[in-house]
Amino acid sequence: MKRLTHSLIVMLFLAVIAASAYAGGAQEQKGRMLQVVLSGNPDTLDPQKTSGTLTFQVDRSIYDTLVEPDENGRIIGDLAQSWEVSSDNLTWTFHLRHGVKFQNGDQFTSRDVKATLDRARDPATASPNASEYASIKSIDTPDEYTVVLHLSQPYAPLLATLASGWSAILPASLIAKNHDFAADPVGTGPFIFRKWVRDNEIVLARNPDYWMAGHPLLAGVVFRIITEHAIQVQGLISGQIDIDYLLNKEDLGLLTKGSGATYKTELTSLVLVLAMNDSRPPFDNLKVRQAINYAIDKQSALDVAYGGGKVIGTFMDYSNPYYEELSNLYPYDPAKARQLLASAGVSVDRPLDLVLPQNYGPHVKAGEIYQQMLEKVGLKVKIRLVDWSTWLSSVYKGGNYDMTVIGHTGKLDPNGRLSGFGTGTSYVHWNDPEVAALITQARQTVGFDARKAIYDKVLRIMGEQVPMVFVGTPYRYIGLRTNVSGFRIDPSLDTFDFRYTELK
Amino acid sequence: MSAGLLTRRILLGFVALYGVAFLLCAVAGTHLSPYSPVEQHLDLRFLPPLSPGHLLGTDDFGRDVLSRIMYGARPALLVGVIAVGIALAAGMLIGLAAGLTGGIVDSTLMLLMDSVLSFPTVLLAITMVAVLGYGVSQVMLAVGIIYSPVFARIVRAETLSLSAETYVIASRGLGTRGVRTVFLHIIPNMIPRLLVQGSATFALAVVIEASLSFLGLGTQPPEASWGLMLKDARTYLLQAPWLALFPGIAIGLTVFSFNYLGDILAEHFGIERTRGLAGTSANLLGRRKG
Repeated sequence: MKRLTHSLIVMLFLAVIAASAYAGGAQEQKGRMLQVVLSGNPDTLDPQKTSGTLTFQVDRSIYDTLVEPDENGRIIGDLAQSWEVSSDNLTWTFHLRHGVKFQNGDQFTSRDVKATLDRARDPATASPNASEYASIKSIDTPDEYTVVLHLSQPYAPLLATLASGWSAILPASLIAKNHDFAADPVGTGPFIFRKWVRDNEIVLARNPDYWMAGHPLLAGVVFRIITEHAIQVQGLISGQIDIDYLLNKEDLGLLTKGSGATYKTELTSLVLVLAMNDSRPPFDNLKVRQAINYAIDKQSALDVAYGGGKVIGTFMDYSNPYYEELSNLYPYDPAKARQLLASAGVSVDRPLDLVLPQNYGPHVKAGEIYQQMLEKVGLKVKIRLVDWSTWLSSVYKGGNYDMTVIGHTGKLDPNGRLSGFGTGTSYVHWNDPEVAALITQARQTVGFDARKAIYDKVLRIMGEQVPMVFVGTPYRYIGLRTNVSGFRIDPSLDTFDFRYTELK
Repeated sequence: MSAGLLTRRILLGFVALYGVAFLLCAVAGTHLSPYSPVEQHLDLRFLPPLSPGHLLGTDDFGRDVLSRIMYGARPALLVGVIAVGIALAAGMLIGLAAGLTGGIVDSTLMLLMDSVLSFPTVLLAITMVAVLGYGVSQVMLAVGIIYSPVFARIVRAETLSLSAETYVIASRGLGTRGVRTVFLHIIPNMIPRLLVQGSATFALAVVIEASLSFLGLGTQPPEASWGLMLKDARTYLLQAPWLALFPGIAIGLTVFSFNYLGDILAEHFGIERTRGLAGTSANLLGRRKG
């Protein structure tokens, strides 16, 4: 009897080992999945309930939008194949793609577009991006494949809004059922959501019914949630990670020939700034702001703190089609800075309060560099580190600071970046009615050339009045295993396009 | 001379030397260090150790690592001394009150102390600094409060046992007043034990200061602190490992030295160290006192 028990136990063990070996085999089959670094947990996967980039970096592969940015930031069709705008700019008609299927089997029609946009505009959804839909008065669906948006006033950024991750199209049937999109996203996109193990991974599998013939090329994508930078880099070098888009310049030396990893350099769409509280003395004095601009060696700060980049002179990222080259307005000139401060006649007896968001290492580093540069021209600066939530509530909303260091993320439409500046309501409390009026005018003007003419004026005034020190646009170093090809990052949105990505 | 004794002599000499160097750096670091600890040279970044002019290399801002290490002794010493001072003062008051009064006061005070002790120290320190605000003085206060129960318990226990000593009872019998007994007989006789605990707590305070600075809650940049240096070094662990190595060594040596000092004092006064209150160097060395 005892013998029998023993042999049963042994057999049980064997069965367990065999089962785990089988599981290992199954893992092997999934070996063609692309492993991508994600720098943290998204707060939700519901595209309409957050403004977090991490969410859109995942959702971009699960969902489609009506229109999307191409590699140069130009907006092209996605779920909408074409569109027309009425001559008064108030009626936008979209013609939808036929034969697109949701991952739950639903056929994609104009109903889904209307349901999605209604959900985004519904105050109950509490979308942080709801204001972008405020100009939409009503939505008509004359037939299954046509959507008509009626606006209350002309709103040029509409296309950019519809191309952004928060306008991802959800299935109407699930919206009606109050489906939990936060944990179980369902869209028409190139990959299907499989699972999300918090702090570990998000797994997406290829959508065999994707509308773009022959794409995607990958069997699937695994987002590896790794917060520690050194571990991300180690993963890339050891081959556990295929793509790490967050490399530092200092890491590049590790990607030797033998490591099997390489990198490419791209400009981000960030505008890095040293912001000043323009309503507070001494920053209400233009000469002081100019002096501070002369005191900052922008290129050094970019190179040391941000891993290199392009110096800018106004509030627009370097590769943006609306960019104005004004970086020569205030070149690095400490002597001139000292002279301007003396002639401004302001005595700064208290040390200036330079607040830095401590969770953003590069900004803290840049802050330390700026502090030294400002002290060289005779200003006293004291650094105060705060956590991110304090930065948001006390600095960004509360205006309780003298200077701060931050990066303004890219927006597909220049209005997203500029809206609110000049009115005194932005966090730098800069008042310039002319600029505020021009920004409003540009928002209601449709057509690139007409808008560019207005934005040129805005950017020139901002470059001259320097409400902040516009430091530059940093590079991004994307680490890739050498067998990865066709990987794209959407300009201005920082989201990933894996549809053309291949693993050889 | 036995090998064991020789090792101990060498260790003692080394610890003494390190102690002097540590004190010198903390008091006069700015005058002794070859460079300013905060001055940046963006053209001299990441020089490896033994570079000309920079014995321990330079960091990501081109600041001299040796100067920053020397300067970093100051927050370590300050936090150590002041935190232990606060803990000692508070612990003394509470311990005496509990030990002399007894009854409900004693049990209430000790319950309070035990509840403070029941929290993990670093977590409690983080919470306190989050409430009080970031900075070195807040760290001192937090560490002082956290370690006051340790002293309170020792003072209470000593008060109870010393009160039962014949010479105290005799002194009382001769008409010495309560307060006078405390200052004349009880406090002086607990000093050795407090010294031993003080040196061990000093070592722990240094670690907590480094931990909080590492988390960005203690010493604020651009000032130098070993924990802050470790934090900055973390990003470059693969490219410039020396940036993490030297502050790590400094913290390690300081903690070891003060623990060892505690051991020596304990041995000198014939006190058995209580395990658990503080990790002792005796345990690290595998040496057991009988």
